[in-house]
Amino acid sequence: MTDVLMAILVAGFTSGALYALATVGLSLVWGSMGMLNMAHAAMLTLGGYVAFTVITSLGLPIAIGFAGAILVGAAAGAILYFAIVRNLLKNDKSTFEANVMIATVGIGIALENAILLTYGGQPLKQPVSITGAFRLGPLTLPWQNLLIIAVVVVMMVVVSLALGRTRMGRAIRATAQNRDAAQLMGVAVNRVYLQVLMLSGALAGICGVMVSSMTQLSPPLGNDPMLKAFIMCVVAGLGNLPGAVAAALGLALLESFVQYALGARWGFPSLLFVVIAVLIWRPSGLFGRAEIRRM
Amino acid sequence: MTDTRSMSRSAKTDLAISLVLIAAAVALPFMIDSRYILGQIVLALFYATIASQWNLLFGFSGIFSLAQMAIFAFGGYATAMLCFYFGWNVWAALVPGALGAVLFSLVVGLACLRLTGVYVALLTLAIAQTMYLLIVTDTECFVMVGSVCRQFTGGAVGFARFGDLGTRALLRAQWLVGNYAIIAVLFGITMVFTYAIVKSPIGLAFRALKDNPGYAVARGVNRFQAQLLVFGISAFFTGLAGGFYAAHFQAIGPGVLSMSQLMFIIAIVVVGGVGTFWGPLVGTVVLVLADELMRESGEFRTLGLGLIIALSVVLMPKGLVGRFGDLVRWLTRKRSGPTNSKPVMSNIVQSPAAAGK
Repeated sequence: MTDVLMAILVAGFTSGALYALATVGLSLVWGSMGMLNMAHAAMLTLGGYVAFTVITSLGLPIAIGFAGAILVGAAAGAILYFAIVRNLLKNDKSTFEANVMIATVGIGIALENAILLTYGGQPLKQPVSITGAFRLGPLTLPWQNLLIIAVVVVMMVVVSLALGRTRMGRAIRATAQNRDAAQLMGVAVNRVYLQVLMLSGALAGICGVMVSSMTQLSPPLGNDPMLKAFIMCVVAGLGNLPGAVAAALGLALLESFVQYALGARWGFPSLLFVVIAVLIWRPSGLFGRAEIRRM
Repeated sequence: MTDTRSMSRSAKTDLAISLVLIAAAVALPFMIDSRYILGQIVLALFYATIASQWNLLFGFSGIFSLAQMAIFAFGGYATAMLCFYFGWNVWAALVPGALGAVLFSLVVGLACLRLTGVYVALLTLAIAQTMYLLIVTDTECFVMVGSVCRQFTGGAVGFARFGDLGTRALLRAQWLVGNYAIIAVLFGITMVFTYAIVKSPIGLAFRALKDNPGYAVARGVNRFQAQLLVFGISAFFTGLAGGFYAAHFQAIGPGVLSMSQLMFIIAIVVVGGVGTFWGPLVGTVVLVLADELMRESGEFRTLGLGLIIALSVVLMPKGLVGRFGDLVRWLTRKRSGPTNSKPVMSNIVQSPAAAGK
């Protein structure tokens, strides 16, 4: 019994950590710019493939593979900003939310398809993986899962330090709280947007490497974690980072329990039911701020 | 604008466009011999019907629903299942199938429409994905057909051979023309109803909720009820189209729920013009043609489609119809001089004019 419980907990915490990383990337962008990045899934996949190329094809060390995924992810964020977001921000503010969502859906499809054309559809093996397990009495913890959790914890600390302690982080938080006031106080809002998209792209890159190390590399790799990350963002209230992490862990544990008890098929539907129940009770999410509309 | 003279002028334009379209629709089967092209036109009419209903939701009412294909699939599946399990005639099953889709949409709406904006989009997307996953992973035997096990939802294969529209028995070799006529009439009826809804007082309420929700609610429009109503109305026509789709192809499977199908519908509306009456039709023509041209280049089709979506949002936020309207306005302004050329418009007043294009 404890074996089973342990396995469920390990699986739940690992996927929870991965979802948290994906959720934070999304939530950061939503919170500071009111933009839902539907291309996040494809950026995740991109990170996984970049690490694969650097490590397997070029034969460079794993650390450089990680760095490559981070850099390419950040670059993808920057390209997204210059090609799409900057242009859409010029238009009417009220249409931005929907327009940017549709545009990033298009970018996401194009990017996923470009990856498919470059690497082919067959699944590839992500070289960033460790075999073996850590044993402590009755406990068995696979190194791979521990590595993922460790990387995610490190990333969370880095993000919270970047947001809490740096000048850039202060500008991002100010923009998230009130864009117009931040702009009036001399914050270069456009630069903040660029930074946020690059940060979120870098997070997506790492997340892609980690997700693909658990399964395999394939072009639709990012879609499943992304859909769940969306749900977790919604449960937590879009734009709330600590809430997003909590929701990701909670729902991932729930998912792995349900998958064990009822079969893998019911994992996602059960998440959906929880989300709908939560939203009927609290329409702006568990931790979301209720929106006050002024005429 | 709100003065009746220009309203009636835009209504006259709409009437003229529809007469030309009806004439073209009647002439079409006489001009086209190729079965393939006629088949693609029938498919395009389905796309235009679904897109017009998504436009009614998103463009006119501001509901960012991504469950459009799920509702379409529900209508198709309901029709197919009524025929498959109960041996109904396809024609008898179409309306019950559409009503089933309405029921489904109301359940979805009750769960989602208390929310706004992207929350609606994310939740409806999740519901559509759940439906897809539950159908594809369905492996339990429900009935045995011969020695083959059939799942209740048809599983990954879906349903086939449950009947057709009866045109094969009636017209024999010309059955495709018969189906074309039926689907063209379906599209026409859908457009007429959509027009009536958009121009009616309740349509004004839908648009007010889209343009300025706070103001509309303050003026006494019940947001939840009105949005649930438009959700149900559009679900009826979407579900009906789903039923006809299943009957035309004599098959329905989980493929219609795929993300790329949904994206194609969204692309149609975005390229044609969100919130314009003729936008979905223009978008369908342009995108189906582009799709056919890209078919030559095979593998770059999806890539091209994604880029078209992104570029058209960036370059023409109001779509082709909006750009055309800009052009017309620019030409007339040039002719009539710069007198009062840019009226101050609030959002609510602006929309009826845009709707009439």
